[in-house]
Amino acid sequence: MELQFNQVTKSFGDLDVIKRFDTTIKTGEIVALVGPSGCGKSTVLHMVAGLQSASSGTLTADGKSVSNPSPKRTLVFQEHALYPWMTLIENVALALEFQNQPKQAARKEAHKWLGRVKLTGFEAYYPHQVSGGMRQRCALARAFIARPQVLLLDEPFGALDALTRMTLQSVLKDLIEEERPTVVLVTHDVDEALYLADRVLVFSNRPAVVLKEIALEHIPKTHDLSAFADIRRNVLNLLGIDTDTLSTGVEKGEAI
Amino acid sequence: MSTNQTAGVASKRAYVVAIAFILFFWQVAAWFLPDFLMPDVPAAFVRLWEEFNSPTFWEGLGNSMTRLGAGYGSAIVLGILIGLVGGTLNAVRSPLKAAIIILQSIPSIAWVPLFLILMGFGNLPIIVVVAIGAFFPTALSVMNATESVEKVHIAAARVMGASKLQMLKRVYFPAVTPELITGAQLAFGNAWRALISAEMIVGFSAGLGKSLAYSGEIADMTGVMTNILVIAVLAAVIDQVVLERIKHRLLRYQYL
Repeated sequence: MELQFNQVTKSFGDLDVIKRFDTTIKTGEIVALVGPSGCGKSTVLHMVAGLQSASSGTLTADGKSVSNPSPKRTLVFQEHALYPWMTLIENVALALEFQNQPKQAARKEAHKWLGRVKLTGFEAYYPHQVSGGMRQRCALARAFIARPQVLLLDEPFGALDALTRMTLQSVLKDLIEEERPTVVLVTHDVDEALYLADRVLVFSNRPAVVLKEIALEHIPKTHDLSAFADIRRNVLNLLGIDTDTLSTGVEKGEAI
Repeated sequence: MSTNQTAGVASKRAYVVAIAFILFFWQVAAWFLPDFLMPDVPAAFVRLWEEFNSPTFWEGLGNSMTRLGAGYGSAIVLGILIGLVGGTLNAVRSPLKAAIIILQSIPSIAWVPLFLILMGFGNLPIIVVVAIGAFFPTALSVMNATESVEKVHIAAARVMGASKLQMLKRVYFPAVTPELITGAQLAFGNAWRALISAEMIVGFSAGLGKSLAYSGEIADMTGVMTNILVIAVLAAVIDQVVLERIKHRLLRYQYL
């Protein structure tokens, strides 16, 4: 599914959050949106998901204007989006039951998907009984089970520790390669963006405009990001992180 | 798990102590007062045993339970429906809530004269009075809980393509269940008080309230105390055993 942003602006009252956003995301492309927190990246995702609408400009999916949520465009939230009153398998099966699939078939499919995210054996656990990493695995299964054409990820691993995050990034990468949805990933983790994306859009502070667009296609990805050292430095600098000074504060004589 | 069990044992012990305490004070009063004013505790238990063997007692108990079931049951169903609708529709929420707050301050027994004339002498006015007592706390608790359902839970259902009805059944209803149960327990107290007092006033066919009022009229103090004993024990059993069981069953996921 191809996503087209045409001069998309979103404002809440007088506050411009996104300003004249222009880009085309090709079918099967993986695009990461990176930027300071609170800059409005998530708003872009919510608009694609159909949860919010643009104040001006047009946003189309395969040529059709996006106005409502659709299971074709699904969203993975940062955390707490699983239903605490349902077991993991019930949470995953729900995505199919909402599309009026019979309960038995949905459960069978959910069982398969829990296996694909390595949660076999945890079907009957409730979300609060498993770790944060397992909850996000389950959230991924719930998103992929509906075979979305567009997968939207809103800081999906933001609440996890660094090691768990890297494992989950690999799980996600494999799933994306097998299922080939169009992906829009919002993250403040530059390494995550470099590892997963074909293209990175670096956003400014509010009102968010694209500062830089970096194409990463054709570069094989591993967690060893040394090939990306220059790009990484460049992105971090754009986000206001000084990568060249040894340390901050102390040598400038600031109080500790 | 073990803490739950210890808490259960501690609460049972508290009940035993409380009951012994109450019976002790009753007996102390009986020692100081003549028998025709305050009967001994054993005398009431002997009377209770006689009542158990009389069909009139069971007829009255059956009538009271039927009225309670009809009034309380319909109030819970209606309270859930009105609470969910009121909580999800912004336009009606505030006026509806204000109306409930005004109406619930009227003691439900105050409606008896009106309904007696409106509906005639019979079961119906008692049932309606019971329902009024139970409806307001149920509707109010469901409505308040509906307003505070987590936004991410609603958004997740929307991106999964849930219909309005699916949303109510699978997201809102389970999300408000904990508050609903608290409200329903409060509602039971109201319903029980309304039932007994309405039966005392209306005096239509046999019932716990009527039996109590009649004992008073013929100055049969053993009968009065026996009826009070039955009313107290029944309320405690329904609240602590029946409603608590239902609560643990519906909120099973919270106790794991």
